[in-house]
Amino acid sequence: MTATEQPAPVAKKVKVPREDDPRNPNKRLRALFDDGTYVALTADGDSGMMAGHGLVNGTHAVAFASDATVMGGAMGAEGCKVIMAAYARALADEIPVIGLWHSGGARLAEGVVSLHAVGEVFNIMTRASGRIPQISVVLGAAAGGAAYGPALTDIVILGPNGRVFVTGPDVVRSVTGEDVNMERLGGAEPHARRSGVVHIATETDEEALEKARSLTHLLGAPGELESSTPIVDVDLEEHLPESAKRAYDVHPLVQHLLDEDSSVELHERWAPNIVTTLGRLGGRTVGVIANNPLRLGGCLDSPSAEKAARFVRMCDAFGVPLVVVVDVPGYLPGVGQEWDGVVRRGAKLLHAFAEAVVPRVTVVTRKAYGGAYIAMNSRALGATRVFAWPGATVAVMGSVAAVRILHRRRLADLPEEIRAEVEQELADEHDLLAGGIEKAKSLGVVDEVIEPSVTRSALAAAIVAAAPLRGRHGNIPL
Amino acid sequence: MAEQIRAEMVANVLSLLVASGDRVEPGQAVVIMESMKMEIPVLAEHGGTVTTVSVAEGDVVQEGDVIVELS
Repeated sequence: MTATEQPAPVAKKVKVPREDDPRNPNKRLRALFDDGTYVALTADGDSGMMAGHGLVNGTHAVAFASDATVMGGAMGAEGCKVIMAAYARALADEIPVIGLWHSGGARLAEGVVSLHAVGEVFNIMTRASGRIPQISVVLGAAAGGAAYGPALTDIVILGPNGRVFVTGPDVVRSVTGEDVNMERLGGAEPHARRSGVVHIATETDEEALEKARSLTHLLGAPGELESSTPIVDVDLEEHLPESAKRAYDVHPLVQHLLDEDSSVELHERWAPNIVTTLGRLGGRTVGVIANNPLRLGGCLDSPSAEKAARFVRMCDAFGVPLVVVVDVPGYLPGVGQEWDGVVRRGAKLLHAFAEAVVPRVTVVTRKAYGGAYIAMNSRALGATRVFAWPGATVAVMGSVAAVRILHRRRLADLPEEIRAEVEQELADEHDLLAGGIEKAKSLGVVDEVIEPSVTRSALAAAIVAAAPLRGRHGNIPL
Repeated sequence: MAEQIRAEMVANVLSLLVASGDRVEPGQAVVIMESMKMEIPVLAEHGGTVTTVSVAEGDVVQEGDVIVELS
């Protein structure tokens, strides 16, 4: 007998949640699935957990939901069995699984029995990692074990009343004396902006479920891209400012690179100097990674490298091709970065790209400098194809900065009045020798210079031409 | 809601775009910074009325320094 054939856990004392209670898990599950498609996998009971399956935008998926009307949704052995059954079904059918969380964590009264059961849930989540998409929606408090459940999944969505923490305010106060409320401890501000635990924070529960539906469809029904797929080109150059020194918001460029209204951004507020967005190109789900010059000048730094690395590994695990939009002045220098582990966390991005087997195409829009050039899916890391827009630069650093180092003595010996002029001459010479896109092309680190107006079709063609491989690894929450 | 706009990174203040008493919309640039050889606008998140401008053009700001306060 397989896990999917096991009878639903039998409730000892049946307590049907009130239909008008907004915490009613059946209600939440029905709202998640397409109208009339939800089928319960388990009987109503007092296990504190419900599960079922149905369609999300026509795509088959499994979901489970905490029953916060029973002991605050606390997880005991019976409730954990419901989650295990949901996972067994999702794994057998190779379909996405969505968890709706509202739980105080392991059931205290059950003692180690509940801890063991929660541990088994963590185990199956980890074994399912990278095999099936796992999406979590936190609608109420998710404490202790209920915090780590979502944290182990691919994408975490936080509703307006969602709170994620290891220990609640009362325990914090009694143990350390720190006075803090639930929102400051585990709301959107800490997790969507500071910790990166949450990928998406929403204003309403409906919006949280809608985001889960969009992501389920993007990952569960990725679509196909063929050479015959019609691609509508749009000119993307208008999203760059006229001055090459000027910073700008990369979001409009990402939006127009993807099919209209197809995108969902992850970790929008955490490490905003890099943008990670799932969307469609010619109907095929792709993952876009783009430096955002508006924030920190678009520099890579410790959190942004880690954010991008996790996104690359998630896409690779699910066979989602990557589009990498590069405009990066370098790694952010400084004591803060070094102490924050920019070397260790930056290495994760190198590892993630070099390991990825999905089609992954790079477009250098303006510049790619130094170590950040290597990290942003360079040829050396195995990029499927590297495009550059006309005028883009690929170099160790800007040419003026480079000649100031290379010709420091000579420049210092020059009279002040001609120094700038000589500096510029040397810089132009340096561009010809070491930088410039022609040099990059002759070295084979850039394949082709393309007009911004044909970027979409060039990306699609490069993806179609590549083998549709998928990484064989889990998606550890880096 | 009061808003403190802080520097995200070490930078030079290239130009101030607002003065005390100005009305600032959400997403509006208040200062242009210069760092990493780029000109980076610093945007207000919520918006409001400028109560304090704590920097002058040419100043060097450190990460976390308050640049402009809004009421």
